[in-house]
Amino acid sequence: MNTQENFQRKTSAWPTLAAAIGLLCGASQAWAALPKVGVACTSGGPNPTFNLDTAIGNIPMPDGNSIFMWSYALTGQPFQTPGPVLCVNEGDTVTIVLHNKLAEPASIMFPGQENVTVGGQPVQPEITGTTITSLTNSAVPNGTVSYTFTASKPGTYIYESGTNPEKQVRMGLHGALIVRPTLGADYLFDRSDSRFTTTANSGTATPWNEEFMVLLSEIDPYQHQAEESGVYSFYDITQYRPRYWQLNGRGFPDAIADNAASWLPNQPYGALARVHPVDASHPYPGAIRYLNVGSLDYPFHPHGNNGLVIGRDGRPLAGPGGQDLSFEKFVVNVGPGQTWDVIFKWYDAENYSASNPVPMALPDPANLSYLDFYSGSPYLGQQGTLPPGITTVNQCGEFFIISHNHSLFQLNSWGLTMSGPATYMRVDPPLAAQGLNGILTCTY
Amino acid sequence: MNNKDDSNGFSRRRFLKLAGGGAAFAAASGLVPTPLRRILPVSEALAAASPFPTDADLFWAGTDGWISLPTSPAIGFYHPDSAAPPPFTTYIFGFRNITRHSKDLTNSATLINKQKMKAQASAPLFWLDEYDPVTNPKDFKMDLTNLGMQQRPDLFDSHTIHWHGFRNVIPLFDGEPTGSIGVPPGGKWFRYIFRPRDPGTYMYHCHVEDVEHVHMGMTGLVFVRPKQNGNMALYPSGKYAYNDGNGSTGYDREFALLLTEVWAEAHWDDAHIQLPDWTDYRADFGLINGRTYPDTLAPNSPYKISTSTHAVDYNIDANGDLPNTGNLQYQPLSSLVECNAGERVLLRLVNLGFREAAMTLEGGRVRVVGKDATPMRGRDGTDTSYETSTLQFGAGESIDAIFTAPNVTSVTTFVLYNRNFEHANNLAGGFGGQRTEIRVYPPGTNAAQQVPNQTSQDTTVA
Repeated sequence: MNTQENFQRKTSAWPTLAAAIGLLCGASQAWAALPKVGVACTSGGPNPTFNLDTAIGNIPMPDGNSIFMWSYALTGQPFQTPGPVLCVNEGDTVTIVLHNKLAEPASIMFPGQENVTVGGQPVQPEITGTTITSLTNSAVPNGTVSYTFTASKPGTYIYESGTNPEKQVRMGLHGALIVRPTLGADYLFDRSDSRFTTTANSGTATPWNEEFMVLLSEIDPYQHQAEESGVYSFYDITQYRPRYWQLNGRGFPDAIADNAASWLPNQPYGALARVHPVDASHPYPGAIRYLNVGSLDYPFHPHGNNGLVIGRDGRPLAGPGGQDLSFEKFVVNVGPGQTWDVIFKWYDAENYSASNPVPMALPDPANLSYLDFYSGSPYLGQQGTLPPGITTVNQCGEFFIISHNHSLFQLNSWGLTMSGPATYMRVDPPLAAQGLNGILTCTY
Repeated sequence: MNNKDDSNGFSRRRFLKLAGGGAAFAAASGLVPTPLRRILPVSEALAAASPFPTDADLFWAGTDGWISLPTSPAIGFYHPDSAAPPPFTTYIFGFRNITRHSKDLTNSATLINKQKMKAQASAPLFWLDEYDPVTNPKDFKMDLTNLGMQQRPDLFDSHTIHWHGFRNVIPLFDGEPTGSIGVPPGGKWFRYIFRPRDPGTYMYHCHVEDVEHVHMGMTGLVFVRPKQNGNMALYPSGKYAYNDGNGSTGYDREFALLLTEVWAEAHWDDAHIQLPDWTDYRADFGLINGRTYPDTLAPNSPYKISTSTHAVDYNIDANGDLPNTGNLQYQPLSSLVECNAGERVLLRLVNLGFREAAMTLEGGRVRVVGKDATPMRGRDGTDTSYETSTLQFGAGESIDAIFTAPNVTSVTTFVLYNRNFEHANNLAGGFGGQRTEIRVYPPGTNAAQQVPNQTSQDTTVA
């Protein structure tokens, strides 16, 4: 790419940033019921049936490009990427009916689920002659196929196309399936040490769930363009090369916009992890469900708070006698097709505050450089002086602590830097402290 | 990790387009947005009395420089870089340890300023002792200044130190510039305070425009020694990777090995006021501690042992420069591993390249005792350490692995190499470099190690 193109890509991103840092604006009508942040479930009651279409649409890239995509979408709802987050309970008999609106056969695989059936028979690969044409039972164009399974093991799972997956999964036919344990909706597994923060257990007045999703994916724009232009047969899969990497179907800074942000009508899932510090009234950690529907390991690095990996691929990390095999990581290196369930706790290890100040003289603010999210103060819940001309989106002295893919060339959108898989953990001051002793009050 | 200039709606590259190139910078300065106008050329700012503190535990400077990578095979017109002064080949951004310079009370500003364009690869290795409010209540003071870029005077990038993996740190000391602060060029400095409460192997890097600054070489390894150290009852040396309580992470010698990569086009571009499309990324060279094999086996640059308390204190000349060791002058850290038969060797491995690494030990095994500065134990204490001969780890991950030297009677060599073969061997014409050797000597051959990565090949001053 020449620098002229590059320049255009850089500048074209700023309307997107301006929109994203506006945060909390109106919601797209179709997703009005979603919570602002965190896992946004599509649920269907006991033993649910979900009707999914294969759908077609376009999404904007951070560099201004528009990418032709496919997705799973709830019947009657618009195209969305990734597909809906399906939430069920352990023990549910789950039925998923796929209505194929594409011009080619399509299907859904449920890796990690056992005894998936179609028409009462176990799902099977489809074989034409000696060639596997689909890894599982498919629906012909305008046809349907109905999959049924019992969600026997709690955890985080991927669902994705089994038909021409090298094309269809990458075109966007993928999504997340969450099976909640019998122990309770605020646990990741049927283990007492897998509990995470929700409204019920954190003493918060506001609806407050610290349960988040990080679904990592990739896009080779030439593959999508070939399909859009009706010349897919000319696309050479051996030249596959992603140029965009996404987080919940968004680049940065779109990823930190709310769920159902109105300016992202087909990308309903944000990735901002908004938390309160862990303390006596807020004793449980946050939870992050990582999923990788791409082709490479994605080493995701949450700054300043290690992830304790307590489960992978829908199973807790436990030995045969229940031994805890969890491990703590500062890089959560999620492999292709894997899911990792991670819990994390944020608190200031040094309890710095105006009355317990940082043990160094703060420089004159004019001698430092600043970007968009800093409060101007070292202390949670406080804001400080920033030099004239510096703008910040900081609202109430909250901390913005970044998380991002550390395979850093993937933080780009075909030449536009800092627009790939990155998001923030937003730490708000403790709710009970807000409005007291100089601690600012946040809006929710 | 963002682009400061972009955040002002005005990227430096856009500025270059408008100004018609770096040479027009001064003439076009009216186009610089207000917040940036105060940033002066570094030489002007440093001409006054020293603005720098003298009481840092460590003091780093960020700047640019040149290093040497194998000239053959050449890579298009990107490598070797025609602008590189002999004997060098490759433009970098990097850090230098200027702690000693900063303590020269009469001449510190001059000495520090002269390190512009003298960055080293990898960034200096450093290490701290675990903080403890009772036994080690030390606020570790790490200062950072920004000398600017001599080859790229048009760049006014800030720098930071991001200690990658530091738990529960406030944004002020995290070095991630969108949620915190950066240190602009022009004699400015900032003091990071570290109270490391968790032993293990970490890494650090500048987080400003981190795709570029990390890849260009502002990457180093840092580790934290546990407070169990000094307890001879669990392991005779009294040295441990973690507070294991049972000596399982005890070791006799330690070696820090930082894996990075060089994409020749990106380095050439930065030297020549161009910008790569990072999604074209490829790793042309694999490096350990800033060097490619067989340079990895060359000794450390000469250093002073007694003052190497938190970082290797290399000898410096009258200008404060690193000792002239020829083409490796700015790549001072060796990757050669030496030990005696029967000893335990702790390998502290970090990957700050952008690709997975698979470091393989030929003829031996290691025990993985830690990952990401965490001992291999479940919350209930279950031992999850394991033996392997191949250490696979991705971008931003670290591994602590212990090699137990066999009882040899003559010098025996074990090769440690990246199983991504073309990244392991330059001698065969590949883009190699991530290869080194573990040399096991008969018992008693090598004296006790006093500084990490120290070997018998080194020239040292007591």
